[in-house]
Amino acid sequence: MVRELLTELMEERLSDNGRIFWNKAQSELQEGAEGQGFAKLLALASRYAKRQPLGLTETELAAAEGALPGWSPRAWNRLELLRVNLILARPDLPGDSFERDFEAQFRFADEGETCALYRSIPLLPQGERFVWRATEACRTNMQTVFEAIALDSPYPVTHFDDTAWNQLVIKALFLDCPLYRVSGLDQRLSPELTRMALDWAEERHSAGRAYHLGLWLCLGPHDEARVLRLLTDHWPSASETERAAMVLAAERAGQQAWLASVEPQDPEVLPYWQNAKEGRSDQTQFAPLFADDHSAQ
Amino acid sequence: MQYFDPHIHMSSRTTDDYQNMAAAGIRAVIEPAFWMGQPRTNVGSFIDYFASLVGWERFRASQFGIAHYCTIGINSKEANNEGLAREALEILPNFALKEGVVAIGEIGYDEITPAEEYVYQRQLEFAVEHDMVVMVHSPHRDKKNGIIRSIDVAREAGVPMNKLVIDHNNEETVDDVLNSGAWAAFTIYPNTKMGSERMVEVVRKYGPERIIVDSSADWGVSDPLSVPKTANLMRERGIDEKAIELSCWGNALAAYAQSGQIDEEELAKPAVIDQRQSYNDNTVLRGQQPRVDEPVPN
Ligand SMILES: [Zn+2]
Repeated sequence: MVRELLTELMEERLSDNGRIFWNKAQSELQEGAEGQGFAKLLALASRYAKRQPLGLTETELAAAEGALPGWSPRAWNRLELLRVNLILARPDLPGDSFERDFEAQFRFADEGETCALYRSIPLLPQGERFVWRATEACRTNMQTVFEAIALDSPYPVTHFDDTAWNQLVIKALFLDCPLYRVSGLDQRLSPELTRMALDWAEERHSAGRAYHLGLWLCLGPHDEARVLRLLTDHWPSASETERAAMVLAAERAGQQAWLASVEPQDPEVLPYWQNAKEGRSDQTQFAPLFADDHSAQ
Repeated sequence: MQYFDPHIHMSSRTTDDYQNMAAAGIRAVIEPAFWMGQPRTNVGSFIDYFASLVGWERFRASQFGIAHYCTIGINSKEANNEGLAREALEILPNFALKEGVVAIGEIGYDEITPAEEYVYQRQLEFAVEHDMVVMVHSPHRDKKNGIIRSIDVAREAGVPMNKLVIDHNNEETVDDVLNSGAWAAFTIYPNTKMGSERMVEVVRKYGPERIIVDSSADWGVSDPLSVPKTANLMRERGIDEKAIELSCWGNALAAYAQSGQIDEEELAKPAVIDQRQSYNDNTVLRGQQPRVDEPVPN
């Protein structure tokens, strides 16, 4: 279903030349293009589609969410869309030959191809075959590559062990990524993750540096005393946006007494406070606070 | 004015260089594949190097608002390690067709040996087959002869002369190159060889047509600001602005945009510091300063 959707989204956005390339590529893939032949298709795709945003409509976004919960192509560009379609058009996806060749492709991939390869992982059959590869994306220095695996995908929460999952979330925090787009974050807010986020906050504080907004998504109902201290200490100097995130965080962390005590006056913060008091504090509630999240458009 | 340095080995340079280059108006660079200052011992070393040219280095440049293109090729020095060179030729197609690869290069002759000629010819054939531009490195010793031979062999292989760039020219070689119809690039070396002063005189004498200025800065003594410095000297010495624009921006763009891998419209806009390297149409970050105060997070 995802595959049909992706093909549809692509075909509507392809140029005439791009369509000719796509048709030709499909027959090459049917004939078994792999290795260097497959790499060539991924590379040549850059001649037919540019790094332009997809500009998805509300209907298209909803269709994506419906096709695979926790997944969204909203941050993809047109070139990535073409490349992922090329990957998914291989007839040998469930087989060993694909598994080997898929891994080999990373060795020769440039930055754009690497992102596209990672974006395909949540869409591949028997996803558990690619766990090691997916954790490699979390060791990259390139934010684009990291986000290709970490955001808008149910893959990490489904397949990563605790170490890999915690590293992913904390790296997203370090890099100031929009954490509300880490799918499944709410389900896996472990005590360990809360502790790591609190430690990070202390380091930042000692260095006299501001917190990233994502901090407030990483606090679960654990380590109550430290969480309370962080909320109390930071509140007086927090910006409006931070305060909105903090009241949501307080509800998530089980700090109802503190939440009731703050009574924010600011009209920007107030609706978040009311939501929090009524228990609406899941990760999607944070979305409007990441307003400068251009990668989501 | 913005400048294009179409030959510079950024992998060997620091972030201070990137910062100074951006401040001096350098908007785009081409990093040709070359050797590392010492010989490679296995093909994996080529693979990781090529991968870094189309990956990490491009990303690094983008953090300073500099568009980074590259060329892929097996250099003439290492062509003499015949076994290794053949292995490297086999993996060349895995990198040469990638986004942002604007030519096969820098290739050509060093000592003008048969092994160099073999590797040069195979790469010319690849370029012709895939309709690519070729960047030729001319030898330091026996330069004039090496250049004439590079051009003849490229012509025989079927490379159109408007898709051939001969680099590291001087006053003695420029006539042959221009007469052949190829582009003539000049590397400005501090202290020795071709300096900015001599470059000014070349442009005065020959005009700007098909003349390209570059720095070839690498791990040796070299100056990543050669292009803007030479442009400024031309200006001081009364060379007209159009000639400066062509030799320090327009010609390189025209030569390498034949690859179809340079988005000229995007380059004409002011630099976007986009750490996500998304090249999309949003203008939120336009004009923002490079984030050089923080180390690259990892
Ligand atoms: Zn060079």
